Amino acid sequence: MATIDVRNVCKRFGKQQVVDDVSFEVVRGEIFGLLGPNGAGKTTTIRMILDIFKPDSGTISILGGPMTEDKKDRIGYLPEERGLYQDISLERGLVYLATLKGLSASEAQKRIQTWLERFDLADHKNKRIKELSKGMQQKAQLIATLVHEPELIIIDEPFSALDPVNTQMVKDLLREQRDAGKAIVMCTHQMHQVEELADRLVLINRGQSVLYGSLDEVRRRYAGQDVIVRALAPLPASLPGVDRVERENGQYRLHLTSGTTVQDLLRCLVEENIPLEQFEVALPTLDQIFIQIVTREGEAL
Amino acid sequence: MKKFWLVFKYEYLRHVLRKRFLFGLLSVPLFIVVILGIGMISALLAIDNKPAGYVDQAGLLTITEVPGEEEGIFADPPLVAFPNEAAALEAIDRGEIGAFYVIPPDYLETGEVRVITREADSNLSQGRFTRLVRINLLAREGEAVAKRVLEGPQMILRSVDGTRETNESNFLSFLVPFSAGVLFMIAVNSSGGYLLQAVVEEKENRTMEIVITSVSPEQLMAGKVLGNLSVGLTQLFAWILFGVVGLWVAKNFFPFAENLAIDLTSVMLMLITLLPAFVMVAALMAMAGATATESSEAQQIAGLFSLPIVAPYWFAGSIMTNPNGPLATGLSLFPLTAPVALPMRAIVTNVPVGQVILAVVLLVLVALLALLLAARAFRLGMLRYGKRVTWGELFRSRRAVA
Repeated sequence: MATIDVRNVCKRFGKQQVVDDVSFEVVRGEIFGLLGPNGAGKTTTIRMILDIFKPDSGTISILGGPMTEDKKDRIGYLPEERGLYQDISLERGLVYLATLKGLSASEAQKRIQTWLERFDLADHKNKRIKELSKGMQQKAQLIATLVHEPELIIIDEPFSALDPVNTQMVKDLLREQRDAGKAIVMCTHQMHQVEELADRLVLINRGQSVLYGSLDEVRRRYAGQDVIVRALAPLPASLPGVDRVERENGQYRLHLTSGTTVQDLLRCLVEENIPLEQFEVALPTLDQIFIQIVTREGEAL
Repeated sequence: MKKFWLVFKYEYLRHVLRKRFLFGLLSVPLFIVVILGIGMISALLAIDNKPAGYVDQAGLLTITEVPGEEEGIFADPPLVAFPNEAAALEAIDRGEIGAFYVIPPDYLETGEVRVITREADSNLSQGRFTRLVRINLLAREGEAVAKRVLEGPQMILRSVDGTRETNESNFLSFLVPFSAGVLFMIAVNSSGGYLLQAVVEEKENRTMEIVITSVSPEQLMAGKVLGNLSVGLTQLFAWILFGVVGLWVAKNFFPFAENLAIDLTSVMLMLITLLPAFVMVAALMAMAGATATESSEAQQIAGLFSLPIVAPYWFAGSIMTNPNGPLATGLSLFPLTAPVALPMRAIVTNVPVGQVILAVVLLVLVALLALLLAARAFRLGMLRYGKRVTWGELFRSRRAVA
């Protein structure tokens, strides 16, 4: 059973169609990337999943059915527009938010202490939140998202304001949560983070779902006619089916002519007795796919 | 429901546990005590308790003490008899008295009495001397007649149906509704201010999305309204408690306060109007907070609701002189002015029961409507950072909210 099941969801604000027939599923034990340029409809989609907005049409099932008050305790949400109560101590603010998620005050206090130590914030627990740095506040926000051990975690731009050390810590944390069987929706425009972490993804552009599937599948779908080869001997000046060869960082990037398959090239290299160290289809990065799709959509309009 | 209490507790304690709240709570009674204290000290410093003397050349004053004459620092100083003017003058020189009266032999014909003093501001104990002369003049009329002449009639103001009465010396019947109105305004403004801040704050600090994905907007709003309202009520009850203690102290330690009593009709009227009025103003403040984008803007909108509450004070003269006129009746029915205008009218007239019921029903209805609009404004405005909710949107269909 999917943790989130979004089917043909539409939402309009005034004359603007913000979300148009979007469908996707998120299952337990995966990091799901919700991608799209600014204004694509990602945040509205998340807000509909969380029942902040009602969709005009389509259905959303979360944790096995429509959203209820009890289910809110099983969800951890880190919104894009984030913040914490500024005038109270860090510990008090976190305990309050944790009790709103169904934890008793004593249990919340115990867990928050553990999290504060893990995030190196224990020494700052009595400070008022407004006295903390942006990065510290970001970590505190993550604690508020995870302290009640939610089954579903929805995080919007989780790495903003974090330095490389803390970014790595959060990445490890997300993998740990995934391995513990949690469903994680990561909303971001930082494609390299998605490539590193996400198992599956959906790309929304102008309110419509334009790409959906596993990361590998998507990259293969958008792979061109390029092959990367690293050989122990120089390649011949010309190879059948190859119209251009580029040398970069000790490896070759071979552009195949249309009609030539990767298997044709491999067979040719073997027949030529060229000792190979590496032979792989050059998969595009998500950045490249993203730009390709967004540009194509823009041209189509 | 549990989350409602969590929000309620959080909102209540975050204000009540602050030093600022305790200071605000104590500052009003402290202010009154300081003002009264300074008044008393300055009065004490000005009091000259040196006895006055008299020389009775007319042989009139056979009774030398007025029965029941009050003694003490605020009472007239005692009177000392002297056989002649020379002895009295010597007493002045020795500083034993400040002044003395000379009742000449022809007093009964002329009515003239001389007063001799070295200092113009000496306490002449004139009231005591006048009473002493009168009681001696009335000695043959009997004690009861003498007492009536001295004290004059005791006026008791009673309503036609006999349900209410007050006496001249009970200034509390005027003071309580006036001061309760002022305290109500202070309490409602402070809790309304807290509420405004609490509603706008989550938009300003962007906590809103986290909170509403943990608790329903209805529970959140109810917890906020009642939590902040309770802050104001705590303030109000604490002040009432201070007032009751002050009254008890006054009645037991100051003779002039013996006859003080609180008019229960005014108190009842205040109680039944204050509670719905409190909810109404709090909900209006919450609505202002939910529609505004930042607290300074919300404060300006809230000011519009605070102004009508004080309006009855501007028209206090008209209300007191014509308590059943159209202005007084209108102000006591209009929900925003009723909590102050209704008890004010009740000081001087018997407000018809029908009008009281109508005023309370209107207050409750407007309070409920304000709560409904506040919840709608909150749901509409909760995620609009930097964008105002318009009044048109507020009154349009609920569909727009979703």
